[in-house]
Amino acid sequence: MIEVGMAQAGVVSVVTSENKGLDASHWADRATSRIVSVGGSCHPAIKDQAEAFKDQVQKVVMFYMEQAIKSDRTTLIALLEQNQHKDVAEIIRRL
Amino acid sequence: MAISQAMCTSFKKELMEGTHNFLASGGNSFKLALYTSSASLGATTTAYSSTNEASGTNYTAGGAALTNVNPTTSGTTAFTDFADLTFSNATITANGCLIYNDTNSDKAVCVLAFGGDKTSTAGDFTIQFPTADASNAIIRIA
Repeated sequence: MIEVGMAQAGVVSVVTSENKGLDASHWADRATSRIVSVGGSCHPAIKDQAEAFKDQVQKVVMFYMEQAIKSDRTTLIALLEQNQHKDVAEIIRRL
Repeated sequence: MAISQAMCTSFKKELMEGTHNFLASGGNSFKLALYTSSASLGATTTAYSSTNEASGTNYTAGGAALTNVNPTTSGTTAFTDFADLTFSNATITANGCLIYNDTNSDKAVCVLAFGGDKTSTAGDFTIQFPTADASNAIIRIA
């Protein structure tokens, strides 16, 4: 007997922004969701532990994303100042 | 005219013919193209077309390449995934999208409906893929 299966497409979500990019917390949440997935049917004690771990991962990812953004801005500011664009560099510094 | 969420019928046949390879390394290149609400897409879509494709700042016809994630299984379900895709600093309005195989003649994989128009204005337009598990993953064979 041949068992008949089913091929299905999942549901995507779309996130957009206006006149700015998505912030670091958005990306930290996405990264965390990709790293840690907590099953809905697992034992409550295990679920609590997994959720606590997920929160910790989110904080760590968030911290290093913010550091990466700061480092990138430092590079941009240095590049702009080296090319005599101190006014633009100042705008980025104030972000 | 409408965009109906579906796994393309031609894709199901092509799976049996070995047309599509979703491996992260050595697999085919898949792309995601955005469409306006004027597009007519669904299970009968067989390949990418630029008709009623979205347009705007920092969006080029054909869309953008996806990053494959190795297919895996959970229980009796096989599934695969892609990394989220972002069109940065973009001004776009789209109602849905098509994932297609850029390596193999732009053959259609699936049509994804956004449930309405989504717009970014000089910002990020991000498509977030669902949790990669047997119940939610973007492409599943149960």
